[in-house]
Amino acid sequence: MTILNINSFRNKLVYLSILLLFGSCYSVRLVSTNGAPMPDQNDRDDWYRDKKVIVLDTVIKANIAIDKITIPVKRLGCESGKLFSVEYKDTFGGNLLYLFTFGNKRKLKIKYVCMKPEN
Amino acid sequence: MANTTSHPKTSWDTLHKNGPFDLKLLQITQLEGKANIPSAIDRYNDAAKEIQNLIKEARDNNEGFRAYGARWSMSSVAHQKDRMHYNSYMNLDLPIFSDDVHQASSFEKSNLFFFQCGNTIKEISQALGAHGKSLKTSGASNGQTIAGCISTGVHGSALDVGSIQDYVVGLNLITGPNPEDIVYIERHTKPALANSFIQKINSKVIRNDELFNAALVSLGSFGFIHGVVLEAEDRFLLKRYVKKINKDTALKLAKTMDFAASDFRIEGEIDVNGKPKRPYHYKVFINPYIDDDQYVVEAMYKKPYTSRYPDPFNTIEKSVYRDLIYLLIKISEKFPKRIPFFIKQLQKQILPDVNEESLGTLYETFWDAPYQGPAFACSFGVDSKDSEKALKVLIDLTKKEGPIPGIYAMRFVKKSEATLAFTKFPITCMIEIDGVLWKKSRNLMSLKEFSKRMIQVLQHNNIPFTIHWGKNSDWGFPGLVEYMYGARAKEWKKYRNSLLSKEMAQLFSNGFLDTVGLSNVNEEIEIETLDEDLIASLLD
Repeated sequence: MTILNINSFRNKLVYLSILLLFGSCYSVRLVSTNGAPMPDQNDRDDWYRDKKVIVLDTVIKANIAIDKITIPVKRLGCESGKLFSVEYKDTFGGNLLYLFTFGNKRKLKIKYVCMKPEN
Repeated sequence: MANTTSHPKTSWDTLHKNGPFDLKLLQITQLEGKANIPSAIDRYNDAAKEIQNLIKEARDNNEGFRAYGARWSMSSVAHQKDRMHYNSYMNLDLPIFSDDVHQASSFEKSNLFFFQCGNTIKEISQALGAHGKSLKTSGASNGQTIAGCISTGVHGSALDVGSIQDYVVGLNLITGPNPEDIVYIERHTKPALANSFIQKINSKVIRNDELFNAALVSLGSFGFIHGVVLEAEDRFLLKRYVKKINKDTALKLAKTMDFAASDFRIEGEIDVNGKPKRPYHYKVFINPYIDDDQYVVEAMYKKPYTSRYPDPFNTIEKSVYRDLIYLLIKISEKFPKRIPFFIKQLQKQILPDVNEESLGTLYETFWDAPYQGPAFACSFGVDSKDSEKALKVLIDLTKKEGPIPGIYAMRFVKKSEATLAFTKFPITCMIEIDGVLWKKSRNLMSLKEFSKRMIQVLQHNNIPFTIHWGKNSDWGFPGLVEYMYGARAKEWKKYRNSLLSKEMAQLFSNGFLDTVGLSNVNEEIEIETLDEDLIASLLD
């Protein structure tokens, strides 16, 4: 293997590691022990299969003085107005973004499911 | 007015992805809001009219129509190639007051409840809980709709209680598009509702044990199940234990159900005579690839309800990366011999923790079972007396001709009165293998082939059996339904063909019914024996 090839391989490894680091994440989900989830006929292949899930995936602009951010639950897909589950996803990339922008940009990835309305 | 949206489709699938199956039209009905129709009974009747419109549309288009709920069945029993109706938003519950109960009823009035078809077990449990009541039993989870449960015979492991259909005491069926096509059926020997209530839901009453028993496990084919009346009981607690016990003891208990004479003793669950108590629930877990002299068993004992008990929701659930499971399955398809190793590695995720204990209501004990990816389940009912023999035969098959990516369990259910209940033995032992869905490969047989071999080995060993209607099997196996139910299958067809017009019998049929030979409305024998008196009401 030539030096050039070794460098190329090393570079790829570094890029791959960075990619994995940025993508690396974990999720925490809070689930109500009462109420039924809002049903939906979807083709998802995860925990949200057959549940009406609402996804918030955005970057919120703020500034260093802003502490908490409050997001209202929309009526569409959430007729009951009650939450069944909320999932927050933390990513390495999101943390870096917060750090390097001094809190001006905050990556937000939340999935929530509302409760099925009682008739 | 209730509102239906129709979605043109090309395919439909079960929750656990056992399809896909062809579909032309998916219909979803949502009820009129409370603000516009405040009365629950009026909204219920309004929904019935909407369903009748949909039935008329299907008939006018010469197409089939079938309702489904949570699509938990893994067989194609819920599927219809033309029109399918998603019931989940039809979740009314109608109050039953003392005056609404039949004067000859032997039921405790406060135990009777009326639920619309799309209510899930979870919703029903919560509604009952608000009255200090509980379901008598459920399946291992709570996401199925009540209509789906009874249509396919969903069960738990309540050995002296039965399946979900066994506490349903009344059925409100929509059997066609005309006003006279709404019937309320209950047993004439156990009437529940007064005629005045039945008039309020615009229904014709038929009190007839045999018809009711036939319609109870209907495979969705006795019309549109719009509502059910069920008998609840006072709320209770379940004390749950997970133990690892001697294999011979576990299997002897499965065979005899004689807990008093067993050496399976749990401290605190001993009667005044010093004998072990009979549990409410008994389940045995078996990893077929380990020759262990001990099995993990789960036993639950019924306790009086008290509000003072620790919160049973005290554990943090962790799930394995889905991609890891898919990877293991891909490897298994290529190298099936690795399956036992993978199952052993995942055993902690699959089996409950030994020595785990909990206390909670039925609702809390059998809580959510979230979707965990494409799955299969094959479930055979045998007389509990044959359980040890049947288990051995099936495990031998799995080891010799597999391995298959799943583990076995045994649950026990009291006999049902329903004509086509697979829980037909005094106590039926349901032997089930559950696991991750795989694709046939050069080294691994298909699920259908495995299912066929299961049927063959049980027949070869002269073990009478049934198969769970909602689980995977080789449903086209020749003479399967006749073998399992004999004359009862003919009786079921006779009642179905008496209740439904020929046109409606066709409309409410599906490919599954055709495959198992239960849809045929043209058989001479059926026509000869059709008798209007068959479905006569036998009590006013």
